[in-house]
Amino acid sequence: MGEILTHLLNGFSVAMTPYNVLWLVLGAALGTVLGMLPGLGPTTGIALLLPLTFTMPATTALIAMASIYYGAMFGGSRSSILLNVPGDGAAVASCFDGYPMARNGRAEAALAISAIASFIGGLIATVAFVLIALPMARFALKFGPPEYFVLMIFALAATAAISKAALMKGLVAMIFGLMLTTVGLDYQSGTARFTFGISELQGGIDFVIVIIGIFGIGEVFENLEHIARDVAKPVQTKFGRIWITMEDWKRCFWPILRQTPLGFVIGILPGAGGTIAALMSYNNEKQLSKHPEEFGKGAIEGLAAPEAANNACSVGAMIPMLTLGVPGSGTTAIMLGALLILGLQPGPLLFEQHPDIAWGVIASMFLGNVVCAVINIPLAGLLVRVLSVPARILYPLIVAVAFLGVYTINFAAMDFVLLTILGFVGYLMKKFKVPTAPLILASVVGAMMEQSYRQSMMLSDGSFGIFFGSPICIVLWIFAIGSLAWPFISEARAEKKK
Amino acid sequence: MRPNAWVGLVAMVFGFIYGMQAIALPKAPIGNPMAPIYFPLGLAVLMVLFGAVIFIIEALKGLNSDDKSKRPQFHFHSMKLIFIVIVLCLLYTAMFDHLGFVFSTIIFLMAMLMAINGKNKSLQNGIITLCFSFGMWYIFVNIFQINLPASPLGIF
Repeated sequence: MGEILTHLLNGFSVAMTPYNVLWLVLGAALGTVLGMLPGLGPTTGIALLLPLTFTMPATTALIAMASIYYGAMFGGSRSSILLNVPGDGAAVASCFDGYPMARNGRAEAALAISAIASFIGGLIATVAFVLIALPMARFALKFGPPEYFVLMIFALAATAAISKAALMKGLVAMIFGLMLTTVGLDYQSGTARFTFGISELQGGIDFVIVIIGIFGIGEVFENLEHIARDVAKPVQTKFGRIWITMEDWKRCFWPILRQTPLGFVIGILPGAGGTIAALMSYNNEKQLSKHPEEFGKGAIEGLAAPEAANNACSVGAMIPMLTLGVPGSGTTAIMLGALLILGLQPGPLLFEQHPDIAWGVIASMFLGNVVCAVINIPLAGLLVRVLSVPARILYPLIVAVAFLGVYTINFAAMDFVLLTILGFVGYLMKKFKVPTAPLILASVVGAMMEQSYRQSMMLSDGSFGIFFGSPICIVLWIFAIGSLAWPFISEARAEKKK
Repeated sequence: MRPNAWVGLVAMVFGFIYGMQAIALPKAPIGNPMAPIYFPLGLAVLMVLFGAVIFIIEALKGLNSDDKSKRPQFHFHSMKLIFIVIVLCLLYTAMFDHLGFVFSTIIFLMAMLMAINGKNKSLQNGIITLCFSFGMWYIFVNIFQINLPASPLGIF
């Protein structure tokens, strides 16, 4: 415990340098704004802002991205409450009672409780993170190439198997993502693969281009469909005091405390994510409530519970990324990718070799929560004005920002062609309801996965038995198979209940 | 045809073509000559397999027995808009290094705003375009110290 406290104090000294605090505040504000904008959300937001971090020191880059992430999680509910349009998937449950509250003239209380619940959820989850991070990172030191290979299979399988309906399509998306990582020079043998004589492809397809293309440009293409009938909804921008009454607080206290651990655990699990955390916590609270009939009509605890859970989830999602070096969601995949660009390998060795970075980021989670709460309570009235910017202006600007961001990766305009193609692929994936998260995750871990596979094969002299040779591998295989089977099991259970 | 059947079909065709390309990859000059091929080949097999499973499941349900109103809709107006944006993106690629960041972005963004925001809002589109192009140039070149292509005029 003493060791953890020492590390944490050092982390605070790193995170609280003026430069880091500046980016923490800017990241939280930008994240809040991006999170608010319907159709963008944290993953697209971080993807679009990712190139900004290339010029920063690694610690600052990670702090900035983490604060964008939390900011987006805070901001996502603003448009749910005021427009009944969730900023991102995780904010969908905030529409159920947040919007009715605003319609009933309680927008101030709704905005306040969503920020307060997010703050408490994020804070408790960060304390849990501090306690778990070091033991988990030390355990991960036992992982060799075969364990990493199977761990990545588990992460990908869990992400692909979000629902039974989309399971096979998720697997197709995952394989497509892995295929994209095979383009370029093979690092071990120097062989050019799938470059078709195009010299620009020899360096491979950078995953940042994949992410910005599939999420950013794909999202814009999809939204262009609605632009013809785009009528900006009037947004309330004048508010009274954004705060809650003691009665509201009493109703929300236990739901926040009950649903935070749930969100945190869901966050750690690969693939699950904030949407599931928020919806599960909402349903839980509805079942536990003495007044379930008020849910959906403006019950304040129906807003507080999912807000706490989805912020706790976003903190939990950082655990596998930082301690194991394997992301469990699209957003953390982008953050992992950014660290790789900066020359750092997240995972257990990050805590051993760069404790300043690892603990600086953890300390910034505490600060980020405070900053996000400050931004989202007193400044809510100011920030929600962004919602009145018409999509007709917003989307062309997003495309231009995306192109500029992509240019800064390789300084090659040819990447624009890839970006455009991937954007169209992303659009088609959305039209045909093919999940995009497995593709993103695969495009980030694909190269590492192939390296782990080939190192394992060299260690075992070509025997596949190495992937079943340790208890860790076997447990991970059970998890991977379990996550693929889970949608079927849960559906069978639901039918049995009926 | 059912939308998922299309997904299965495209996955199978793509996996097959990718697999053929994987087989044709040059052998490694050092170590196991087949080493760079195994992983892509495995991916191709899985892609064809998953695509086939999706297609067969959909075929068993009846390829055309679904509710046609729930199929993905591609409206002419929205597809035209997407096509215009794609063409503008490709033109931007061609212009970028030659005209430099500021001038190519002014043309690109202005054209995109005219297409999306409307031709009747030229003044608004123009102000946004100029603010964005010069603003981003200033931020990236002077604050982030990231070089962006300069125009042939030597300024911006």
